[in-house]
Amino acid sequence: VSVSAAERRLARRHSLLRFVATPRFFLALIILALVIVFGAAKPAFFNGPFVIAPLLTSISIFTIVGLAQMLVLSVGHMNIAVGQMAAFGAMVSGITFQLFDFPLVLGLVAGLLAGAAIGALTGWLIARTGVNSFIVTLAMSFALIGLVPTVYSWLSTGSAFTTKPDGFDFLGRDSFASVCVAGYCGPDAIPIIAVAAIATMLLIAYLYNRTRLGRELLVTGSNIKAAQLSGVATGSRIVIVHALSGLLAAFAGFLLAASIGSFTPAIGGEFMLQSFVGPILGGTLLAGGYVSITGTFLGITLALLIRKGLELFGFGLESLNVLLGVILLVALSTDRIRTIRRRRKPSPATIPEEVSA
Amino acid sequence: MKRQFATFLRSQNLTLAIIIVLGVVLLGVTSGGGFFSPVSVRTFFQFLAVPILIGLAQMITISVGQLNLAIGSIGGFAACLAGVLMADSGVPVAAGVLITLVVGAGAGFINGWLVVATRINGFIVTLATMTILSGAQYAIVSTRTISASNWMAIADLGRGTLLGIPLVFLLAVVVAVVVSLAFNHTVGGRRLLASGDNPHAAGLSGISNDRSVIVAHAASGLLCGVAAFISLASLSGVNTSVGGDWLLPSFAAPIIGGVALTGGTVAILGTALAATVVRLVDTARAEFQLAPAWVNFVVGAVVLGTVALGRAREVRDTRRAGAARARGAVK
Repeated sequence: VSVSAAERRLARRHSLLRFVATPRFFLALIILALVIVFGAAKPAFFNGPFVIAPLLTSISIFTIVGLAQMLVLSVGHMNIAVGQMAAFGAMVSGITFQLFDFPLVLGLVAGLLAGAAIGALTGWLIARTGVNSFIVTLAMSFALIGLVPTVYSWLSTGSAFTTKPDGFDFLGRDSFASVCVAGYCGPDAIPIIAVAAIATMLLIAYLYNRTRLGRELLVTGSNIKAAQLSGVATGSRIVIVHALSGLLAAFAGFLLAASIGSFTPAIGGEFMLQSFVGPILGGTLLAGGYVSITGTFLGITLALLIRKGLELFGFGLESLNVLLGVILLVALSTDRIRTIRRRRKPSPATIPEEVSA
Repeated sequence: MKRQFATFLRSQNLTLAIIIVLGVVLLGVTSGGGFFSPVSVRTFFQFLAVPILIGLAQMITISVGQLNLAIGSIGGFAACLAGVLMADSGVPVAAGVLITLVVGAGAGFINGWLVVATRINGFIVTLATMTILSGAQYAIVSTRTISASNWMAIADLGRGTLLGIPLVFLLAVVVAVVVSLAFNHTVGGRRLLASGDNPHAAGLSGISNDRSVIVAHAASGLLCGVAAFISLASLSGVNTSVGGDWLLPSFAAPIIGGVALTGGTVAILGTALAATVVRLVDTARAEFQLAPAWVNFVVGAVVLGTVALGRAREVRDTRRAGAARARGAVK
């Protein structure tokens, strides 16, 4: 039976309507409006190398941080230690560069593995003991807050690793203006680092949309008992997802180090709040079972755009904190309304439970 | 079952007490007796008051199955607001004290109300209020430190002692006793525990879980206000750093002290003992001149260990109980 053109049109309109109702669409609208307002009020906002490129650099880094949090949110967990895992991974990379003269890629891999290892340890503790992920990651974050500066002060002078391998500055500080093909160079407003963020987003999107593991993570998050009954080894999925979260956190820490030019213990200090703001604004459910990768990107973009705007108009950073807190509360109230609406649908979803039960 | 549980609590407190005694002896020996000098003892208790209070503040929210990330920023904001008003606006000292308590309880009430009204996860609500309040704290004091000379009456109180024990520590003890009485001997306290243990059962027996959540958050905020007052009394001045390092100790004390994270239990003595252990770690850190970061590392590791051990014990107990039941059934 062929579907008539009218029906197809109706279906398309329906899916369009559904998209308009998502937080992503709403976020995109606000972002567009803010860009227009900032640009109109301060033409300097459109300055490629000095405003747009740094903004895109931080958006790239924090999108990866947001994805690191989104991963654990997808199984209904949280990672309070996301910033400290970033600091830990970056520290290991820094050590390999400073003390062992590793090339760029090897040092990066070492840092990523360190992040994944600390994440896997966290996930193992959660899965093994069944204790709330909040407490385990909180304790882990403080253990690392203690460990990282101590290691820096042991192994470096001035608490920073400053050795830069070849390509480090290119990755962190250059824009496409330095990538020239046949005499044509790219725009100076787009930093090289954006490639890393886009690649990460595509990989995570692939994980959730196309792989069995991704679907199993979502099932685990939406109803862990149903997941176990359908043969998903939820314990190992929890370990894997925390390891991946640690890996992405370490990647973000590495990129931040590349963009500021050295490895310091302060890396990751600002990650925790932003890591929640991005996914939550973007529509990822705290209870688990639903993720939005573009939403996370848009949520991060909005938060950093507001920050840039406040800077441009000369407000202090403390007003950013106040604003972010308020935005978080408002956005979550709407998240709440969305969940209630979802439950009212014909086949009501069961309330996802925390693993600690 | 109940007796078993009581024994477990006692043994936890006993373990903590033994650790404290060992720690004190060790510190006393390594410092060549210097740790027992009157000044050293006074300092030890002076800076034990705040850890006990914030541990209890967190314990109250945990008892109803909530948590409070905003503890440090409520305390910091309350202390700074009172400090600024006393220093710049000439607010009398007595009113300053009142301000810390009212701001604390008010902020806690708002937390609880937001959790109840919006049904948002308490974690996110308190994360948001934490951010907002720490932003506000920075906004009112920015980079300056407001000297304690603006509230000499409070500072004198902070220096006061009774039989060599600082008054602020005695204040913390009084608060702990009041909290203990409230949980053990008042209907309101029992209601909080009922809501935390099993909200569904509590609701069916006519207890308003919403009210329990609001009361718990407000009480938690009030204790943060008391901690803010003690900070005003014992620090040489207040700035944006007040409250910044309260988060981990506030969780460490109840968790190490034997409070179940799932709600429904309290351990006032355990919380106070655990806060003392953390304070000992801090003192030892200063004694051996290690970096302050070490305290975080040790406390974080101890919390992880306690949590893992407690869970292992729980699993073992349920297995044993199951095995006993099975044997009984066979007979």
